Amino acid sequence: MADKGELIELLKDGVINFKDDQVKDAAQKAVDAGYPALEMIMEGLAAGMEVVGDLYEKQEYFVPEVLMCADALYGGLDILRPHIPKQEKGAIAQVVIGSIQGDVHDIGKNLVKMMFDVAGWQVHDLGRDVPLENFVKEQLRTDAEVVAMSAMMTTTMLGMKKVIKMIKDKNPNVAIMLGGAPVTQDVAKLFGADGYAESAGNAVQEGIKMIGRLREYEKKKA
Amino acid sequence: MAKLTPIERVKRFFKREPVDVMPFFSGMGMVLLPAIKKLGFKFPAVHRHADKLAWSGIESARMFKLDSIVIPYDMCWESEALGNQISLYEDSEDILYPTIPHKKWAELDQVHITNDDVDHLVDRYPMNLIPEAIKIVKKEAPELALGAWQLGPFTQCGQTIELDKVLKGVFKEKKRVEDILDRFTEMIINNGKAFLAAGADFITLREPGVAADLLSPRTFKELIQPRLTKILSAWRSPKVLHICGSTDPLIEMMWKIVKDSGAQAVSVDMKNNIVETRKKLGNDALILGNFDVYKLPCAEETTVEQAVEGIKKNIDGLVDAVWPGCDLWPAIKEENMRAIEQTARTYKAGPTPAVGRLN
Repeated sequence: MADKGELIELLKDGVINFKDDQVKDAAQKAVDAGYPALEMIMEGLAAGMEVVGDLYEKQEYFVPEVLMCADALYGGLDILRPHIPKQEKGAIAQVVIGSIQGDVHDIGKNLVKMMFDVAGWQVHDLGRDVPLENFVKEQLRTDAEVVAMSAMMTTTMLGMKKVIKMIKDKNPNVAIMLGGAPVTQDVAKLFGADGYAESAGNAVQEGIKMIGRLREYEKKKA
Repeated sequence: MAKLTPIERVKRFFKREPVDVMPFFSGMGMVLLPAIKKLGFKFPAVHRHADKLAWSGIESARMFKLDSIVIPYDMCWESEALGNQISLYEDSEDILYPTIPHKKWAELDQVHITNDDVDHLVDRYPMNLIPEAIKIVKKEAPELALGAWQLGPFTQCGQTIELDKVLKGVFKEKKRVEDILDRFTEMIINNGKAFLAAGADFITLREPGVAADLLSPRTFKELIQPRLTKILSAWRSPKVLHICGSTDPLIEMMWKIVKDSGAQAVSVDMKNNIVETRKKLGNDALILGNFDVYKLPCAEETTVEQAVEGIKKNIDGLVDAVWPGCDLWPAIKEENMRAIEQTARTYKAGPTPAVGRLN
């Protein structure tokens, strides 16, 4: 039986090198051995994804590789997450996420969603082609701290401005994050957003930074 | 100084013959809401109606003194003709372009593009409306240049199968992806030829799904470059290659495609460092795009003065024509759009790097 450290390394390596079976196998062994699921997620899967982020930043990895890493990560997450003890399950925060109406592209949105998932947030995924008012309704229903919207096309991004106004009118404390290929820093500012991710890849980096901060927080807590 | 008609200006421009003023035109969607309103059309109704498609384009160009009309506007035509249902958002009060909510091929191994799809897609609804609209434009607005376009094979693939499957397939099922891209390549060649035969004056090959923030330059070189070269080589001139997104690492390969295929120009969006691009490609290259299609003509906060400054910056970046870096958002601010057109024509009277001026 592999020890905890070895399994963490297998999880990390499996995510980095998109070895789905290795990740699933290591995750199952960790569960069988009774190792702490949250630690396996944060030190194995999430740590692997941090390396993926670095590889993306260095342009050694591109979106296809990141998508395959994400598949491997989810393979492990699905096995480990049900074994996080209840007292550790409390979500850090909530996020409502979706691709804006008129946009059926969701790669960036799904990558960002994964980052929030791994980071322990409660994710309310509205999917894609989401009618504008649904973002507002879901934020009000869940009282989520963050609303994240993506648009892949110039022809759809304008809807985000309307959503921001609708949400901020009802609840000015909600943080709104925008992402997607046509969205620029200028556009995000003009629209009144609080955060911006330049592209799917950039969103990955932003999400990974978030995970990194969370891991530091978890370490300090321990 | 000789005064050229828009079509004369565009034709001379692509031949690198001197023109009277800076051309202001596009190879990507530029249908504008004030024109649609004037005609009494609803935005969702213009897309699948040859007459409305033609007249909305004509009125947009005439109202704002654009040199070209671009047909069609949305990116769902081929996918719909291949059997996918589209959403036109007919009940929405917002401007929403058609999309494909669900694709009939869920996995790469389900993709089946027949010889009839490749050879005769353009004869099938709704594709058959595009040549019809082109013919109407050529008859009713002979003074205007008409641009048609096709998506490149990778982007078209993503319109037909979920893009994440295609992206992962580049690694996991490379041969299958290559075979699918080859089928799309042949289909795109035939579609483009049909649009040109119907009367299009120029054609743009748009491949936004391969930008360097999505695919590696190595994958671009291996998988994309040969197919884009093949498509452009098969079409008659004038022809333009456009890629949206991060193109700085690709720009030399893009220009090689243009040169190898006998195309005329390369087009990029605002994420390209246009000053560097000019340095890399030299004054021989016909460079288009890089103008912010939202901030300058559309954003409520952008004043006329700011729009003018933005276009001056675009021209100072040494583009050869004022050409939007992507589809123009239809809901333009009329005063900004008119100022942009005026600035394009008057800001610099002299030649651009690749195109001279008439005396």
